Amino acid sequence: MKLNNSPLMKASWLFIGALFLVFMFVPLGKMLVLSFNVADGLGLSHYVDIISSNDFRQVMLNSFFVAIVSAMSATFLAFILAYTVHWTNLPKGFKQTIKLASLFPMLLPTVTYGFAIIYTFGKQGLLTKMIGFQLFEDIYGFYGMWLGYTIYTLPIAFLLLNNTFQYLDKKFVIVSELMGDSRLRQIDMTVIRPLIGTFAAAIIQCFFLAFTDFGIPASIGGQYKVIATELYTQILGASPSFEKGSVVALFMLIPSVLSILLLWYVARFNVRYDSVEHFDLPTSKVKDRILGVLSSGILISLLFVFAVIFIIPWIKTWPYEMAFSTDTFTKVIESSNLMRVYKNSLIVATLTAIFGTIITYVAALIYERSGLFKIGKLTIESSALVTNTVPGMVIGIAYLMVFSGSSISNTIFIIVISNIIHYFSTPYLMSKNALSKMNLGWETTASLLGDSWLQSLRRIVVPNSILTLIEVASYFFISAMVSISAVIFISGAKTMVLTTKIVELQHFARFDEIFILSLMVLLTNITALIFFAVARYLYTRGMYGTKKVKSNKTIVTTVA
Amino acid sequence: MLELRNVTKKYDGKVIFEDISLKVNKGEIVSILGPSGCGKTTLLHIILGLTDISSGRLAYDKEDITRVPMKHRGFNIVFQDYALFPNLNVKQNIEYGLRNRPNVSTQAEVDELVDLLEIKPHLNKRISQLSGGQKQRVALARTLVMKPKILLLDEPLSALDGVIKETIKARIREIAERYELTTLIVTHDPEEAMTLSDRILLLSDGKVAQYAKPSEIIKNPANDFVKSFILNQLNIKRRNILSLFEADSVPTDPLEKYTQMRPTPTGSSVTEDINAIIQRTAAKSIKDTSKS
Repeated sequence: MKLNNSPLMKASWLFIGALFLVFMFVPLGKMLVLSFNVADGLGLSHYVDIISSNDFRQVMLNSFFVAIVSAMSATFLAFILAYTVHWTNLPKGFKQTIKLASLFPMLLPTVTYGFAIIYTFGKQGLLTKMIGFQLFEDIYGFYGMWLGYTIYTLPIAFLLLNNTFQYLDKKFVIVSELMGDSRLRQIDMTVIRPLIGTFAAAIIQCFFLAFTDFGIPASIGGQYKVIATELYTQILGASPSFEKGSVVALFMLIPSVLSILLLWYVARFNVRYDSVEHFDLPTSKVKDRILGVLSSGILISLLFVFAVIFIIPWIKTWPYEMAFSTDTFTKVIESSNLMRVYKNSLIVATLTAIFGTIITYVAALIYERSGLFKIGKLTIESSALVTNTVPGMVIGIAYLMVFSGSSISNTIFIIVISNIIHYFSTPYLMSKNALSKMNLGWETTASLLGDSWLQSLRRIVVPNSILTLIEVASYFFISAMVSISAVIFISGAKTMVLTTKIVELQHFARFDEIFILSLMVLLTNITALIFFAVARYLYTRGMYGTKKVKSNKTIVTTVA
Repeated sequence: MLELRNVTKKYDGKVIFEDISLKVNKGEIVSILGPSGCGKTTLLHIILGLTDISSGRLAYDKEDITRVPMKHRGFNIVFQDYALFPNLNVKQNIEYGLRNRPNVSTQAEVDELVDLLEIKPHLNKRISQLSGGQKQRVALARTLVMKPKILLLDEPLSALDGVIKETIKARIREIAERYELTTLIVTHDPEEAMTLSDRILLLSDGKVAQYAKPSEIIKNPANDFVKSFILNQLNIKRRNILSLFEADSVPTDPLEKYTQMRPTPTGSSVTEDINAIIQRTAAKSIKDTSKS
């Protein structure tokens, strides 16, 4: 079908192309050039220095090891949760609780996880006080990061597995049982094998997120050096070197690119049944009880780690003066500095949500519903793919190198742009998915009924995309609120946001305030979620009456 | 009158169809018939102006419209999936075009269409609340409000079944007659084409296999493809119906029953002719089959 190819569409493509060029390809290119920059021109000496350094090799090994172990733990725990949701006859309310509670960590910045772990498992931690001994000998370093990364990546692994579980046909359990399969063989044939592709995807995705995260090692890494902390030291440490920092950033980029390529590869192992029938599974009370207990244990442990965020700020001086106090809270509220930081965060998240939604939607519109030339579409698609492979820290460093000293340096604008580029991929896919499912005859019909392309866009295409636009805006808002890895390099004194302030407060050991700020992030995100849910409800009610509308299921692939 | 002269369409060097020539008179119903993938819908889109042709010429009332954009040809289409706007209710869908061209139809004319297509009880409903047949009628009304010079219908009956299908067939015929509206219908079902159209354009391998009245196609099929595509399919259907009647021991002549299943408000001599031809051809074919 012939689609729109108006000058406005071409102008939009030019705008988005320019945006990617200026705010992604040029900074990355500059970083690449800088990595070869030596005193007498171009050379490989920085690469040689870095590769030959024993410390760096250890850093890489540490990063790989802790990221892989965490990814596997998160995927295993997520499997238990998803299995409980889909393959037990436990009450619906319990299953709904699993779905909601497992996503809870996504509402907080990763830097908070570290501090929450310290205050839970540390020498003076809440759990240590409750059970009388320290569960982990030294929570700083590997164990802390393992815990942190597992908590951080668990929601992503759960989303992926939960999504695939929906397409597994329970009828095969009946068939397997009738064929006389043992219990183990039954699980293997009906669950494990169909999930192999998703298991691999979940492990790769979780590895990628853990490998590139900055918040957790920054808060709880201790002496266990990983690439994220190494990168931070190279750029903002005591003796910064942009050239060596560029080399380290490129080393961070390699596993990221490989992860995305591997994700593509493992997609072929996904099993999709032709049609999924909804069967009630044979009742097994023993199995249900075991899984119920396991899942409850996982969720209670998960939420318990974050309990300290709600407790510590209201204690006078943890753990020495355990009296209730509102001093910290009052101090934060009265501190104009902290409130300004909060205001910055709100502005950044709101602007990211508004402009991110518009830009990703227009890009998807160009790809799915325009008659633009193939190369034009290809540039948008490949740019979106590149944004998915570039870790936030790399974007932040590249911006620091290119825009430092420019008129946009230390502005809200550059933080918003970095967030849009950083989180572009998932919302773009969400919009593209929604637009591709829309009837291609709408624009033609509207045109035959006298509409211009813009009129049909305004009257038909956009109104039918509202639910997706709400989801995209919600994704951008929450991601911007918890984002740390890119903004840590580009936010200045006046443009500091909550997450970067938390890192700063760490140096002054002001943990009470850190938890208050974390609570503010959490409450703001919960409020935003309620706001978006109400908007969605109102729109659905207006459009479909009382009929229930299925949500546009999305797999979130956030990059820290 | 619509005229296509030596129309050829190629996609990336591959010929979809070649040298299609035909004339469609005002008020005529023409079915474009053929197996899946023979280019029926592409031809419909070419006439609409949605798809460009590779060579040839299109004319309407002797005016060359080959390069006239879709919007200015004055034709309109009902897509196979109706393309109704789900964010608008039935009334808003039907009157959508009036927002852009308020004078194209009067309120009385819109009301007449709403009555004719029996949509009145559904006017305030959401699109999601309609059945397939109701959606089809709403899409028809929305298109007819714009008073198209030619009405194009892409597989209008494929998503419908049973009685609803027959009702829509009757409505299409009635509209074409009442408004003297040239109507082009894409279908893959020979029975639909036979019972609904004044003429049938049968496509095969990118070429016109036959373009004639249904009775002519039955009497003098142009080649083996026409025979196998139309007559065999009709015979299969007929045999199925016959077996049903035999099972129920209905004494009525099943062939007569079969021909009575066509839409009612026709009564034209052509259709009567087809009845007789279908009966004769089917009976002959059954005799041949039983002999072999």
